[in-house]
Amino acid sequence: MNRPVSRRSIIGKLGAVVAGVLAAPAAKAAKAVAQKLLVSADAPKDYHPTAHKWLMAIDANRCIGCGLCAEACKRENHVPEGPYFRTWVERYIITKPKPGSGAARGETLVDCPNGGINGYPEAPVLKEEIQHSFFVPKLCNLCQHSPCVQVCPVGATFDAPDGAVLIDPKYCIGCGFCIQACPYGCRFLSPVTKTAEKCTLCYHRITRGLKPACVEVCPTQARIFGDLKNPVPDDPLQQFYQNNLVIALKPHLGTEPRLFYAGIDKEVR
Amino acid sequence: MRRLFKMPPQLFRIFLLAVGIVVAYSIARYFLTPASFGEYGWYRGAALAEMATRDRVYAGKQACEECHSDEYQKLIKHEHKGLSCEACHGPGEAHVQNPDNPDVKMAVLHYSLCLRCHEANPSRPKWHKQIVSKNHYTGKCTECHVPHSPSEVP
Repeated sequence: MNRPVSRRSIIGKLGAVVAGVLAAPAAKAAKAVAQKLLVSADAPKDYHPTAHKWLMAIDANRCIGCGLCAEACKRENHVPEGPYFRTWVERYIITKPKPGSGAARGETLVDCPNGGINGYPEAPVLKEEIQHSFFVPKLCNLCQHSPCVQVCPVGATFDAPDGAVLIDPKYCIGCGFCIQACPYGCRFLSPVTKTAEKCTLCYHRITRGLKPACVEVCPTQARIFGDLKNPVPDDPLQQFYQNNLVIALKPHLGTEPRLFYAGIDKEVR
Repeated sequence: MRRLFKMPPQLFRIFLLAVGIVVAYSIARYFLTPASFGEYGWYRGAALAEMATRDRVYAGKQACEECHSDEYQKLIKHEHKGLSCEACHGPGEAHVQNPDNPDVKMAVLHYSLCLRCHEANPSRPKWHKQIVSKNHYTGKCTECHVPHSPSEVP
Protein backbone atom coordinates (compact mmCIF):
# COMPACT_ATOMS: atom_id res chain seq x y z
CA MET A 1 0.00 0.00 0.00
CA ASN A 2 2.94 2.31 -0.53
CA ARG A 3 1.65 3.84 -3.70
CA PRO A 4 3.13 7.26 -4.45
CA VAL A 5 0.64 10.05 -3.88
CA SER A 6 0.64 12.46 -6.74
CA ARG A 7 -0.23 16.16 -6.41
CA ARG A 8 -2.87 15.70 -9.08
CA SER A 9 -4.74 13.04 -7.13
CA ILE A 10 -4.72 15.14 -3.94
CA ILE A 11 -6.08 18.19 -5.73
CA GLY A 12 -8.68 16.01 -7.38
CA LYS A 13 -9.82 14.54 -4.04
CA LEU A 14 -9.93 17.97 -2.39
CA GLY A 15 -12.02 19.26 -5.25
CA ALA A 16 -14.46 16.38 -4.81
CA VAL A 17 -14.84 17.13 -1.09
CA VAL A 18 -15.49 20.84 -1.73
CA ALA A 19 -18.02 20.01 -4.43
CA GLY A 20 -19.75 17.57 -2.08
CA VAL A 21 -20.00 20.20 0.70
CA LEU A 22 -21.34 22.83 -1.70
CA ALA A 23 -23.72 20.51 -3.51
CA ALA A 24 -26.51 20.50 -0.91
CA PRO A 25 -26.89 24.32 -0.54
CA ALA A 26 -26.46 24.79 -4.28
CA ALA A 27 -29.22 22.28 -4.94
CA LYS A 28 -31.44 24.02 -2.40
CA ALA A 29 -30.86 27.43 -3.97
CA ALA A 30 -31.48 26.04 -7.44
CA LYS A 31 -34.67 24.40 -6.19
CA ALA A 32 -35.91 27.70 -4.76
CA VAL A 33 -35.21 29.47 -8.05
CA ALA A 34 -36.91 26.73 -10.06
CA GLN A 35 -39.99 26.86 -7.85
CA LYS A 36 -40.20 30.63 -7.98
CA LEU A 37 -40.21 30.39 -11.76
CA LEU A 38 -42.72 27.54 -11.90
CA VAL A 39 -45.00 27.97 -8.91
CA SER A 40 -45.38 30.53 -6.17
CA ALA A 41 -45.52 29.17 -2.65
CA ASP A 42 -47.39 31.42 -0.22
CA ALA A 43 -48.34 29.71 3.00
CA PRO A 44 -51.71 30.53 4.62
CA LYS A 45 -51.27 33.00 7.44
CA ASP A 46 -54.06 33.50 9.98
CA TYR A 47 -56.46 31.00 8.42
CA HIS A 48 -55.94 27.32 9.17
CA PRO A 49 -57.78 25.00 6.76
CA THR A 50 -57.69 22.09 9.20
CA ALA A 51 -59.55 24.08 11.88
CA HIS A 52 -62.75 24.36 9.82
CA LYS A 53 -65.26 22.15 8.05
CA TRP A 54 -67.55 24.31 5.96
CA LEU A 55 -70.84 23.04 4.67
CA MET A 56 -73.88 24.34 2.87
CA ALA A 57 -77.42 23.01 2.94
CA ILE A 58 -80.40 23.87 0.75
CA ASP A 59 -83.93 24.36 2.02
CA ALA A 60 -85.90 24.20 -1.22
CA ASN A 61 -89.11 24.98 0.69
CA ARG A 62 -87.81 28.49 1.04
CA CYS A 63 -86.46 29.06 -2.48
CA ILE A 64 -88.51 31.61 -4.41
CA GLY A 65 -86.50 31.35 -7.62
CA CYS A 66 -85.35 34.97 -7.71
CA GLY A 67 -81.96 33.96 -9.12
CA LEU A 68 -80.07 36.43 -6.93
CA CYS A 69 -77.71 33.66 -5.84
CA ALA A 70 -76.80 32.71 -9.40
CA GLU A 71 -76.24 36.35 -10.29
CA ALA A 72 -74.17 37.04 -7.17
CA CYS A 73 -72.05 33.96 -7.88
CA LYS A 74 -71.35 35.12 -11.42
CA ARG A 75 -70.29 38.55 -10.23
CA GLU A 76 -68.33 37.46 -7.19
CA ASN A 77 -66.32 34.82 -9.03
CA HIS A 78 -66.10 36.57 -12.42
CA VAL A 79 -67.78 33.61 -14.11
CA PRO A 80 -67.84 34.20 -17.89
CA GLU A 81 -71.05 35.35 -19.53
CA GLY A 82 -73.01 32.62 -21.24
CA PRO A 83 -73.96 29.12 -20.14
CA TYR A 84 -71.36 28.90 -17.39
CA PHE A 85 -72.51 28.63 -13.79
CA ARG A 86 -71.04 27.65 -10.46
CA THR A 87 -74.51 27.73 -8.98
CA TRP A 88 -77.89 27.94 -10.69
CA VAL A 89 -81.57 27.54 -9.89
CA GLU A 90 -83.68 24.94 -11.71
CA ARG A 91 -87.45 25.11 -12.02
CA TYR A 92 -89.21 21.79 -11.69
CA ILE A 93 -92.77 21.44 -12.92
CA ILE A 94 -94.50 18.11 -12.34
CA THR A 95 -97.73 17.91 -14.28
CA LYS A 96 -100.91 16.15 -13.27
CA PRO A 97 -101.17 12.66 -14.78
CA LYS A 98 -103.45 12.20 -17.76
CA PRO A 99 -106.98 11.34 -16.56
CA GLY A 100 -107.56 7.62 -16.64
CA SER A 101 -103.87 6.79 -17.13
CA GLY A 102 -103.59 5.32 -13.66
CA ALA A 103 -100.28 7.10 -13.07
CA ALA A 104 -99.59 8.93 -9.83
CA ARG A 105 -97.43 11.61 -11.41
CA GLY A 106 -97.36 13.30 -14.75
CA GLU A 107 -94.41 14.55 -16.75
CA THR A 108 -91.41 16.24 -15.15
CA LEU A 109 -90.44 19.48 -16.87
CA VAL A 110 -87.18 21.12 -15.87
CA ASP A 111 -85.86 24.42 -17.14
CA CYS A 112 -83.20 26.88 -16.11
CA PRO A 113 -82.89 29.80 -18.57
CA ASN A 114 -79.57 31.58 -17.92
CA GLY A 115 -79.27 29.91 -14.54
CA GLY A 116 -82.43 31.66 -13.36
CA ILE A 117 -80.71 35.04 -13.33
CA ASN A 118 -83.24 36.67 -15.66
CA GLY A 119 -86.30 34.97 -14.19
CA TYR A 120 -88.37 32.23 -15.75
CA PRO A 121 -90.78 32.36 -18.68
CA GLU A 122 -94.46 31.47 -18.27
CA ALA A 123 -94.83 27.83 -17.32
CA PRO A 124 -95.03 25.65 -20.49
CA VAL A 125 -98.25 24.10 -19.17
CA LEU A 126 -101.43 25.68 -17.85
CA LYS A 127 -101.54 26.46 -14.16
CA GLU A 128 -104.40 23.95 -13.72
CA GLU A 129 -102.28 21.14 -15.16
CA ILE A 130 -99.46 21.62 -12.66
CA GLN A 131 -99.49 19.08 -9.85
CA HIS A 132 -96.49 20.52 -8.08
CA SER A 133 -93.82 23.03 -8.96
CA PHE A 134 -90.77 24.29 -7.12
CA PHE A 135 -87.28 25.68 -7.49
CA VAL A 136 -84.07 23.79 -6.73
CA PRO A 137 -80.79 25.69 -6.30
CA LYS A 138 -77.88 23.59 -7.53
CA LEU A 139 -74.18 23.79 -6.79
CA CYS A 140 -71.25 21.53 -5.99
CA ASN A 141 -72.57 18.66 -3.88
CA LEU A 142 -69.36 18.53 -1.82
CA CYS A 143 -69.04 14.75 -2.18
CA GLN A 144 -67.10 12.69 0.32
CA HIS A 145 -66.09 10.35 -2.51
CA SER A 146 -65.69 12.94 -5.25
CA PRO A 147 -65.55 11.36 -8.72
CA CYS A 148 -64.08 14.60 -10.05
CA VAL A 149 -61.09 14.33 -7.74
CA GLN A 150 -60.54 10.66 -8.57
CA VAL A 151 -60.30 11.19 -12.33
CA CYS A 152 -58.00 14.23 -12.42
CA PRO A 153 -54.83 13.02 -14.18
CA VAL A 154 -52.60 15.78 -12.80
CA GLY A 155 -53.86 16.05 -9.24
CA ALA A 156 -55.11 19.58 -9.83
CA THR A 157 -58.44 19.08 -8.06
CA PHE A 158 -58.63 17.98 -4.48
CA ASP A 159 -60.76 17.79 -1.35
CA ALA A 160 -59.52 20.66 0.79
CA PRO A 161 -59.32 19.88 4.53
CA ASP A 162 -61.93 22.56 5.25
CA GLY A 163 -64.65 20.90 3.18
CA ALA A 164 -64.44 22.66 -0.18
CA VAL A 165 -63.57 20.76 -3.36
CA LEU A 166 -61.12 23.03 -5.13
CA ILE A 167 -59.18 23.25 -8.39
CA ASP A 168 -55.58 24.43 -8.49
CA PRO A 169 -55.72 26.65 -11.60
CA LYS A 170 -51.95 26.48 -12.04
CA TYR A 171 -52.00 22.71 -12.32
CA CYS A 172 -55.26 22.19 -14.24
CA ILE A 173 -54.52 21.27 -17.86
CA GLY A 174 -58.14 21.67 -18.99
CA CYS A 175 -58.60 18.06 -20.12
CA GLY A 176 -62.22 18.01 -18.99
CA PHE A 177 -62.23 14.58 -17.33
CA CYS A 178 -63.63 16.04 -14.13
CA ILE A 179 -66.40 17.79 -16.06
CA GLN A 180 -67.54 14.43 -17.41
CA ALA A 181 -67.06 12.71 -14.07
CA CYS A 182 -69.23 15.08 -12.03
CA PRO A 183 -72.69 13.47 -11.97
CA TYR A 184 -74.24 16.77 -10.88
CA GLY A 185 -72.94 18.87 -13.77
CA CYS A 186 -71.27 21.29 -11.41
CA ARG A 187 -68.11 21.92 -13.42
CA PHE A 188 -67.40 23.71 -16.68
CA LEU A 189 -64.40 24.54 -18.82
CA SER A 190 -63.85 28.26 -18.62
CA PRO A 191 -63.47 29.85 -22.06
CA VAL A 192 -61.31 32.54 -20.43
CA THR A 193 -58.78 30.56 -18.40
CA LYS A 194 -59.17 27.27 -20.35
CA THR A 195 -59.22 25.43 -17.05
CA ALA A 196 -62.03 23.65 -15.24
CA GLU A 197 -63.95 25.81 -12.78
CA LYS A 198 -66.46 25.07 -10.08
CA CYS A 199 -68.02 26.30 -6.86
CA THR A 200 -65.26 27.01 -4.32
CA LEU A 201 -67.77 27.83 -1.56
CA CYS A 202 -66.42 31.37 -2.22
CA TYR A 203 -63.13 30.31 -0.70
CA HIS A 204 -61.82 33.88 -0.68
CA ARG A 205 -64.83 34.94 1.38
CA ILE A 206 -65.14 32.11 3.89
CA THR A 207 -61.44 32.35 4.75
CA ARG A 208 -62.06 35.99 5.70
CA GLY A 209 -65.06 35.24 7.89
CA LEU A 210 -67.73 36.14 5.33
CA LYS A 211 -70.52 33.98 3.95
CA PRO A 212 -70.39 32.79 0.34
CA ALA A 213 -71.93 35.36 -2.01
CA CYS A 214 -75.00 33.20 -2.79
CA VAL A 215 -75.74 32.73 0.92
CA GLU A 216 -75.19 36.45 1.54
CA VAL A 217 -77.78 37.60 -1.00
CA CYS A 218 -80.39 34.84 -0.60
CA PRO A 219 -83.46 36.80 0.56
CA THR A 220 -85.24 33.83 2.15
CA GLN A 221 -82.35 31.94 3.77
CA ALA A 222 -82.92 28.98 1.47
CA ARG A 223 -79.17 28.48 1.53
CA ILE A 224 -77.74 27.64 4.92
CA PHE A 225 -74.04 27.84 5.56
CA GLY A 226 -71.99 26.91 8.57
CA ASP A 227 -68.84 25.46 10.05
CA LEU A 228 -69.24 21.96 11.46
CA LYS A 229 -66.06 22.25 13.54
CA ASN A 230 -66.97 25.64 15.07
CA PRO A 231 -70.76 25.76 15.59
CA VAL A 232 -72.07 29.11 16.82
CA PRO A 233 -75.01 29.48 19.24
CA ASP A 234 -78.25 28.77 17.32
CA ASP A 235 -76.16 27.47 14.45
CA PRO A 236 -78.34 27.71 11.34
CA LEU A 237 -76.85 24.53 9.94
CA GLN A 238 -77.59 22.51 13.09
CA GLN A 239 -81.10 23.95 13.23
CA PHE A 240 -81.62 23.00 9.61
CA TYR A 241 -80.72 19.38 10.38
CA GLN A 242 -82.94 19.36 13.46
CA ASN A 243 -85.99 20.77 11.73
CA ASN A 244 -85.92 19.12 8.32
CA LEU A 245 -86.01 15.76 6.64
CA VAL A 246 -83.03 15.86 4.33
CA ILE A 247 -81.92 13.91 1.29
CA ALA A 248 -78.88 13.97 -0.99
CA LEU A 249 -79.01 14.00 -4.78
CA LYS A 250 -78.31 10.74 -6.67
CA PRO A 251 -77.48 8.68 -3.57
CA HIS A 252 -77.26 5.50 -5.67
CA LEU A 253 -74.00 6.72 -7.22
CA GLY A 254 -72.13 6.35 -3.95
CA THR A 255 -70.61 9.81 -4.13
CA GLU A 256 -71.84 10.50 -0.57
CA PRO A 257 -72.68 14.18 -1.02
CA ARG A 258 -72.25 16.33 2.04
CA LEU A 259 -74.73 18.85 0.61
CA PHE A 260 -78.25 17.99 1.77
CA TYR A 261 -81.56 19.22 0.47
CA ALA A 262 -84.84 19.66 2.26
CA GLY A 263 -88.16 19.94 0.44
CA ILE A 264 -87.40 18.43 -2.95
CA ASP A 265 -89.35 15.78 -4.83
CA LYS A 266 -88.11 12.38 -5.93
CA GLU A 267 -87.91 13.70 -9.50
CA VAL A 268 -84.96 15.97 -8.67
CA ARG A 269 -81.71 14.66 -10.10
CA MET B 1 -16.36 -5.11 -10.06
CA ARG B 2 -17.59 -6.65 -13.30
CA ARG B 3 -15.51 -9.73 -12.61
CA LEU B 4 -16.89 -9.95 -9.09
CA PHE B 5 -20.54 -10.25 -10.16
CA LYS B 6 -19.75 -11.89 -13.48
CA MET B 7 -22.46 -9.74 -15.05
CA PRO B 8 -22.72 -10.00 -18.81
CA PRO B 9 -21.90 -6.61 -20.38
CA GLN B 10 -25.31 -6.19 -22.08
CA LEU B 11 -27.09 -6.66 -18.73
CA PHE B 12 -24.68 -4.26 -17.09
CA ARG B 13 -25.56 -1.57 -19.63
CA ILE B 14 -29.28 -2.08 -19.01
CA PHE B 15 -28.63 -1.86 -15.29
CA LEU B 16 -26.71 1.39 -15.79
CA LEU B 17 -29.53 2.79 -17.92
CA ALA B 18 -32.11 1.91 -15.24
CA VAL B 19 -30.04 3.58 -12.55
CA GLY B 20 -29.65 6.62 -14.78
CA ILE B 21 -33.43 6.87 -15.28
CA VAL B 22 -34.12 6.59 -11.56
CA VAL B 23 -31.49 9.24 -10.77
CA ALA B 24 -32.81 11.59 -13.47
CA TYR B 25 -36.37 11.10 -12.16
CA SER B 26 -35.27 11.78 -8.58
CA ILE B 27 -33.45 14.96 -9.61
CA ALA B 28 -36.43 16.19 -11.66
CA ARG B 29 -38.81 15.36 -8.82
CA TYR B 30 -36.64 17.20 -6.32
CA PHE B 31 -36.67 20.37 -8.39
CA LEU B 32 -40.24 20.27 -9.72
CA THR B 33 -42.23 19.28 -6.62
CA PRO B 34 -43.69 22.47 -5.12
CA ALA B 35 -42.60 23.27 -1.58
CA SER B 36 -46.14 23.07 -0.23
CA PHE B 37 -46.94 19.75 -1.91
CA GLY B 38 -48.21 17.31 0.68
CA GLU B 39 -48.93 20.00 3.25
CA TYR B 40 -52.57 18.85 3.52
CA GLY B 41 -52.65 16.02 1.01
CA TRP B 42 -51.52 15.04 -2.45
CA TYR B 43 -51.79 18.52 -3.89
CA ARG B 44 -50.14 21.91 -3.67
CA GLY B 45 -51.03 23.35 -0.26
CA ALA B 46 -50.25 26.87 -1.44
CA ALA B 47 -53.20 26.65 -3.86
CA LEU B 48 -55.51 27.16 -0.86
CA ALA B 49 -53.79 30.40 0.13
CA GLU B 50 -53.74 31.60 -3.46
CA MET B 51 -57.46 31.01 -3.78
CA ALA B 52 -58.07 32.77 -0.47
CA THR B 53 -56.29 35.94 -1.61
CA ARG B 54 -58.71 36.66 -4.46
CA ASP B 55 -60.62 39.95 -4.27
CA ARG B 56 -64.25 39.96 -3.28
CA VAL B 57 -67.06 41.80 -5.03
CA TYR B 58 -69.81 41.58 -2.40
CA ALA B 59 -68.89 43.31 0.84
CA GLY B 60 -71.36 41.64 3.21
CA LYS B 61 -74.07 43.07 5.41
CA GLN B 62 -71.75 43.97 8.30
CA ALA B 63 -69.73 46.29 6.07
CA CYS B 64 -72.93 48.18 5.14
CA GLU B 65 -73.99 48.43 8.77
CA GLU B 66 -70.77 50.19 9.78
CA CYS B 67 -71.79 53.40 7.98
CA HIS B 68 -75.53 52.95 7.29
CA SER B 69 -76.62 51.74 10.72
CA ASP B 70 -79.79 53.89 10.65
CA GLU B 71 -81.08 52.11 7.54
CA TYR B 72 -79.87 48.79 8.91
CA GLN B 73 -81.80 49.26 12.16
CA LYS B 74 -84.94 50.08 10.19
CA LEU B 75 -84.49 47.00 8.01
CA ILE B 76 -84.08 44.45 10.80
CA LYS B 77 -87.36 45.48 12.46
CA HIS B 78 -89.52 44.44 9.52
CA GLU B 79 -90.25 41.51 7.20
CA HIS B 80 -87.25 42.28 5.03
CA LYS B 81 -84.88 41.67 7.97
CA GLY B 82 -83.43 38.57 6.31
CA LEU B 83 -82.43 40.47 3.22
CA SER B 84 -78.86 41.39 2.54
CA CYS B 85 -78.39 45.03 1.54
CA GLU B 86 -76.58 43.88 -1.58
CA ALA B 87 -79.49 41.66 -2.64
CA CYS B 88 -81.29 44.81 -3.83
CA HIS B 89 -78.57 47.47 -4.02
CA GLY B 90 -76.06 45.33 -5.87
CA PRO B 91 -72.53 44.31 -4.95
CA GLY B 92 -70.75 47.01 -2.97
CA GLU B 93 -67.15 46.10 -2.23
CA ALA B 94 -65.93 48.85 -4.60
CA HIS B 95 -68.06 51.36 -2.66
CA VAL B 96 -66.76 50.03 0.67
CA GLN B 97 -63.18 50.53 -0.53
CA ASN B 98 -63.92 54.12 -1.73
CA PRO B 99 -66.86 55.28 0.39
CA ASP B 100 -66.34 58.99 -0.33
CA ASN B 101 -65.84 58.74 -4.07
CA PRO B 102 -69.18 59.60 -5.74
CA ASP B 103 -68.00 58.02 -9.00
CA VAL B 104 -67.80 54.58 -7.39
CA LYS B 105 -71.40 53.40 -7.41
CA MET B 106 -73.07 50.21 -6.36
CA ALA B 107 -73.39 47.83 -9.30
CA VAL B 108 -76.89 47.52 -10.75
CA LEU B 109 -78.55 44.12 -10.82
CA HIS B 110 -80.05 42.46 -13.86
CA TYR B 111 -83.74 43.10 -13.47
CA SER B 112 -86.35 44.87 -11.47
CA LEU B 113 -86.12 44.90 -7.72
CA CYS B 114 -89.50 44.19 -6.08
CA LEU B 115 -90.92 42.02 -8.84
CA ARG B 116 -87.87 39.83 -8.98
CA CYS B 117 -89.16 38.18 -5.84
CA HIS B 118 -92.82 39.21 -5.59
CA GLU B 119 -94.25 38.63 -9.08
CA ALA B 120 -96.72 35.75 -8.84
CA ASN B 121 -95.38 32.47 -10.11
CA PRO B 122 -96.95 29.02 -9.64
CA SER B 123 -93.51 27.60 -8.83
CA ARG B 124 -93.01 29.92 -5.87
CA PRO B 125 -93.89 28.57 -2.42
CA LYS B 126 -97.34 29.50 -1.15
CA TRP B 127 -96.10 31.23 2.02
CA HIS B 128 -94.27 33.83 -0.04
CA LYS B 129 -96.20 37.08 -0.69
CA GLN B 130 -96.81 37.47 -4.40
CA ILE B 131 -98.78 39.79 -6.70
CA VAL B 132 -99.82 39.71 -10.33
CA SER B 133 -98.24 43.06 -11.13
CA LYS B 134 -100.46 43.98 -14.07
CA ASN B 135 -103.59 43.47 -11.97
CA HIS B 136 -102.05 44.98 -8.84
CA TYR B 137 -100.92 48.48 -9.76
CA THR B 138 -99.13 50.00 -12.73
CA GLY B 139 -97.30 52.80 -10.92
CA LYS B 140 -94.20 52.61 -8.76
CA CYS B 141 -94.14 50.11 -5.90
CA THR B 142 -92.62 52.75 -3.60
CA GLU B 143 -95.72 54.96 -3.90
CA CYS B 144 -97.41 52.61 -1.43
CA HIS B 145 -94.61 50.42 0.01
CA VAL B 146 -91.38 51.25 1.85
CA PRO B 147 -88.74 48.67 0.90
CA HIS B 148 -86.78 49.02 4.15
CA SER B 149 -89.89 48.73 6.30
CA PRO B 150 -92.55 46.99 4.20
CA SER B 151 -95.13 46.85 6.99
CA GLU B 152 -95.24 50.66 7.22
CA VAL B 153 -97.29 52.93 4.97
CA PRO B 154 -95.43 56.01 3.67
